[in-house]
Amino acid sequence: MSTRKKGDGISRREFISAAAAGAGFVALPTMIAGCCGPLPQPPATPVAAPPPPAPVKEVTSPITYFTGFGIDEQVVAATVNEAMSRGGTFSELFFQHQIRNYVGLQDGEVNRVYSVVDLGCGVRVVKGDQTGYAFTQDLSPQALADAAKTAAVVANETAAAPVESFQRGEVPSYYKAEIPWTEVGLDKKIPLLSLSNEHAFKTDNRVKKVEMFLIDTTSNIMIARSDGQILEDYQPSTRIWMTCMAEDKGRRETNYEILGRRAGLELYTEADLRKRAESLVKRTTVLFDAVPAPTGEMPVVLGPGVPGILLHEAMGHGFEADFNRKGISIYNGQIGKRIAPEFVTIVDDGTNPDEYGSINIDDEGSPTARTVLVENGILKSYMHDRISANHFKVAPTGNGRREDFRFPPVPRMRNTIMLNGPHDPKEIISSVKQGIYAEHFANGQVDIGAGDFAFYLQNGYLIEDGKITRPIKDANLIGSGPKVLEQLEMVGNDMAMGEGGGTCGKDRQGVPVGFALPTTKCNAISVGGKKS
Amino acid sequence: MTTKLIDIAKSAAGVAKAAGANDARVLASRSREVKVEWRDGKLDRIQESTKKDLAITLFVDGRYSVNMTADLRQDALKKYITDAVAMTRLLAVDEHRKLPDPKLYQGEAPGDLQINDPSITSVQADSRLATAKQIEEAARAGDKEGAVISVTTEVSDECTDLACVATNGFEGEDTRTAFWRVAQVSVKDEGSRKPVAWSYSAGRFNGDQSPAEKLGAEAVERALGLRKTKQVASGRYDLVIENRVVSRLAGQLAAPLNGRSLQQKQSFYEGKLGQQVASKLLTIKSDPRLPRGLGTQAWDDEGMATIARPIFEKGVLKTFFLDTYYASKLGLEPTSASMGNIVWEPGKRDAAAMIKRLKKGIFVTGFMGGNSNSTTGDFSMGIKGFLVKNGKIIHPVSEMNIAGNHLEFWKQLVEVGSDVWQSSANRSPSIRFKKVQCSGS
Repeated sequence: MSTRKKGDGISRREFISAAAAGAGFVALPTMIAGCCGPLPQPPATPVAAPPPPAPVKEVTSPITYFTGFGIDEQVVAATVNEAMSRGGTFSELFFQHQIRNYVGLQDGEVNRVYSVVDLGCGVRVVKGDQTGYAFTQDLSPQALADAAKTAAVVANETAAAPVESFQRGEVPSYYKAEIPWTEVGLDKKIPLLSLSNEHAFKTDNRVKKVEMFLIDTTSNIMIARSDGQILEDYQPSTRIWMTCMAEDKGRRETNYEILGRRAGLELYTEADLRKRAESLVKRTTVLFDAVPAPTGEMPVVLGPGVPGILLHEAMGHGFEADFNRKGISIYNGQIGKRIAPEFVTIVDDGTNPDEYGSINIDDEGSPTARTVLVENGILKSYMHDRISANHFKVAPTGNGRREDFRFPPVPRMRNTIMLNGPHDPKEIISSVKQGIYAEHFANGQVDIGAGDFAFYLQNGYLIEDGKITRPIKDANLIGSGPKVLEQLEMVGNDMAMGEGGGTCGKDRQGVPVGFALPTTKCNAISVGGKKS
Repeated sequence: MTTKLIDIAKSAAGVAKAAGANDARVLASRSREVKVEWRDGKLDRIQESTKKDLAITLFVDGRYSVNMTADLRQDALKKYITDAVAMTRLLAVDEHRKLPDPKLYQGEAPGDLQINDPSITSVQADSRLATAKQIEEAARAGDKEGAVISVTTEVSDECTDLACVATNGFEGEDTRTAFWRVAQVSVKDEGSRKPVAWSYSAGRFNGDQSPAEKLGAEAVERALGLRKTKQVASGRYDLVIENRVVSRLAGQLAAPLNGRSLQQKQSFYEGKLGQQVASKLLTIKSDPRLPRGLGTQAWDDEGMATIARPIFEKGVLKTFFLDTYYASKLGLEPTSASMGNIVWEPGKRDAAAMIKRLKKGIFVTGFMGGNSNSTTGDFSMGIKGFLVKNGKIIHPVSEMNIAGNHLEFWKQLVEVGSDVWQSSANRSPSIRFKKVQCSGS
C-alpha cells in the first residue's frame, strides 16, 4: 500500500483495509546500516555522535540502534533502577536521535539549508498521577544517572525491585519511507523545489513571488521501561510547504499549500508536485474574486479533508483523558452518553499507513491503535496515556505523545477522523439556503473547559439558494463544540484526509497530527466576516 | 574539553574557517530550567533540566546554511562542521548572504541592563513548592460558592548563558534569567461547561513577580466571572481590550514589518514608510535596552548592537525590522530584525476607568483562534470578554468575532491606557476602539 491516490483523498474502505495490511509488520533494523546523518556527501556515520551505530554485538541484546551511542543493557538497567530508587508506579527512559533538514527556495534559487541534529534522553518517574521529569543531552552513564536521580524526587518511598534484564518489544510498521532521508542528498532535493517553483510561475502569469521549504525528519527512539520492556522505533516524516504571492490590477493575494506524511523521497513525484503548485496558484488567484465574508450565525458546510480540523478543535482535545482525569473537560463524565446524532462516528487512528499523525508505538511504548471515540453518536472512549489509563482503570490507547526527549508525554491526538455518513455531498450543499462552504483552514483553537472553539478560514465560498457561488476568505469561525456536534445535520459519504497534516500544540509541545472528514453540515456557527 | 561557552563558540568558528568557510557565526547557549506544577493540593509535575545548543551559520563561497547540534564534543563537532561546509557548497550562490558590517557590532555600551538575577542559583526546591501551594490556597480562598473544580499552579525559573562569535570581529556573552508564576482555575457552570481562567506573572528578577496571593485571587475571580456567557447580536461595538491580550492584535500589526514579508511582497506596509497608518494616539517604540525588560538584549541574533527606535509615532510608520540579508535584498540599510521590548506611550486611565465610560461595548479579555493576512491586512479574531452597557459589566460573552483590516482598524483607536502590562516583552496598556464590526448571533 505504498502508492496512494494523492489529492483525491482515501475512501473509508481503502483506509481501513490499508491499515489492516500494515499491521503485523515488524520494524526492520535496516536503518542502522543505512544511517548516515543529514549530509549528502557520503558520510557513513551519524554526524551528531560518533562512533556510528554499530551492528548488534550480541544477538541477545534488546538494543540495536542506540548501541552506536554507547548505550547497552547495563547502562539502561542502572539508569532505570536509579529512577526507581525512591519507589514510584513506573518509570521510563526515552532516548532520541533526530535529524531534521529544511531546504529552502526563494526568488527562484535553492539557496538555504537549516539542519538540526538532536540527541538526548528524557527520564520520567511516575507516582500515581504525579510526574518527575529530567533530560540530558549527554548520554554518559553518569549524566543519565544524574537525570534519573533528579526525576526520582517525585517519589519518596523505598526502592522498587531492581530490573536486571530487558525484553525487546515488537513494533509494527505503519510507514515505510522506501527511500529514507538519511540516504538522500541535497542534490536530490534541489530539483524538487526548482520544478515546483517553475511550475507555479508557468501556471498563471499573475504569480510574482514563490517561496518553498522541503523538510525531512528522521527520528530514532528507544523507550526503556521499568516493567522490563525495551522498544525501538524509526520515525521518518516529511513536509513540503509552498507559498506564493499573485498580483492582479494592483491587488495582491497570498496563500500556501502544505503536504505532510511519514514517508521518504518517493513521496514527491513530478506529477504530484506540479499538481500541488497548480492548486496553490488556483487557491491564491481565486482570492481576487472574493467578496467580504458574511457576519453572524449561519449554516456552515465543511468540505472533505482539511476542514477536519473541526474534529480536532471542537471535540478532539476535549476527549483527551488528562483533561478528563482532572475533571476540567466539558466531556468529563459523558462516556456512554449521546453527544452526537446517530450517523456520527469519530475515531482517532495511529495506524493509517504513511499519514502524518500515524505512529507505530506511542512515546511511552504503548501500541498504537484505532481508537473509537464516538460510535453512532455515543461517546465511547477518551484518548489515554499511561497515567490516565491507570486513573480510569482502562488499557492505554497509545495516545501518550511528546515533541521530543525534552518533554514528558501527555495524551495527544494522532489522525482524528469522522467516518462516512449517509448523505450525498450534493444533497448537503443544496439543503442550504444561505450559508458558507469551507474548503481550507489555516489554524484553530479550543477552550477545553467551556467547549468553545475557533478556526480560521483561508478559502471558502458562499452558498446561496443551495448553490456554491462566490469565493470568500479571511474569516474566523467560532462555535460551541458540544453544541455543534450535537446538532450536526448531515454527514457525507466522501471522507478524505486533510493532506497537509498539522502541528498540534499543547502543554507547549508540538506533535504532528492528521485529520479526515467527509462533507459535513453544521447548522449554526458564528462567522466573523467583514460584511456589516 | 573546555566548558566556557565563548571558547566553544570560538573553537567552532575556527573549525568552520579551517574547513573552508569564508565566514561563520556561532551562537552557543546553555540554559537550566526548573519547573514545578502543583494541582489540587499536591505536586503534579516537577521538571528540571539543562539544555545546550550550538547554532553555526556558515558562509561558504557565497552560499549559506545554519546548522544546529547539541553535541559539543570536539571530535563530533569537527566532523559535523566539516560535513556542513561541504553540503553548503551544493547550494545556489546568494550574493546577499554576508555577516553584518563590523561597525554595527559597536554601539553604545549597554551599561547594566539588569537581565541577570544572581539570586537564581539560591532558589530552593522547597520555596518553589511553597509558592505554588500559596497560589492555590489564595485561589481556593476566593471560592465562596464551592464552584472551583480544579486549580493548577506553576512556578518556574530559567537561567540562560549565551555566547556569540562572528569571524569578522564580534564576540558577545550574556546571562539572562527569567521567573514565572502561573495560576489556572476551572469552575462549574451551567450544563457541562467548565470555564477556565488564568493569571500569570513573569520577570527577569524573582523579586519583580506578583505576590502569590494576588495571582491566586485574580485567577479565581476571572474564572467565576466567565460563568453564564451569552452570545450578543452582531453589530458595531466599542471595544476596550485588556492590556495583557493586546499583543495578540498588536503582533499582527507588527508582523509584516519584517524584511522577509517586505521583500516577498507579502506586507501591507509596502510603500507606507513615513505615512499615517493608524490613529494619532498610536506611539510605540522598540526598546531593546529597557532595564529588566523581558525582551532586553544588548546585541541581536546577528551580533548587531541594539538601539531604541520608534515604530509608530502618532500613527506614522517610522521603521522596518531588517536583518543584513533582507536589507541587502531590498537595497536598504539593516536596522536589526529583533524588536526587543515593545513600549507604548501610555495614556491617563486604566481599563476599569475606560469601561466606566463605555455606553455600549465589549471589554475584551481574550482572543479565540483568528489570524491576519499580512499581505492585505485583513483579519478576523474570536473574542472573549464582557458586554458593557452604560459603564457597567452586564454578562460574559462567547462565540463572537471581530473582523477588519489593520490599515483601517487602527485608525479607530481612540484611547491608550495607563495600565502597562509588565509580564511580557510586549508592554502594552489596555486600549479602546470605536465602532468595531462584531459578529455574534
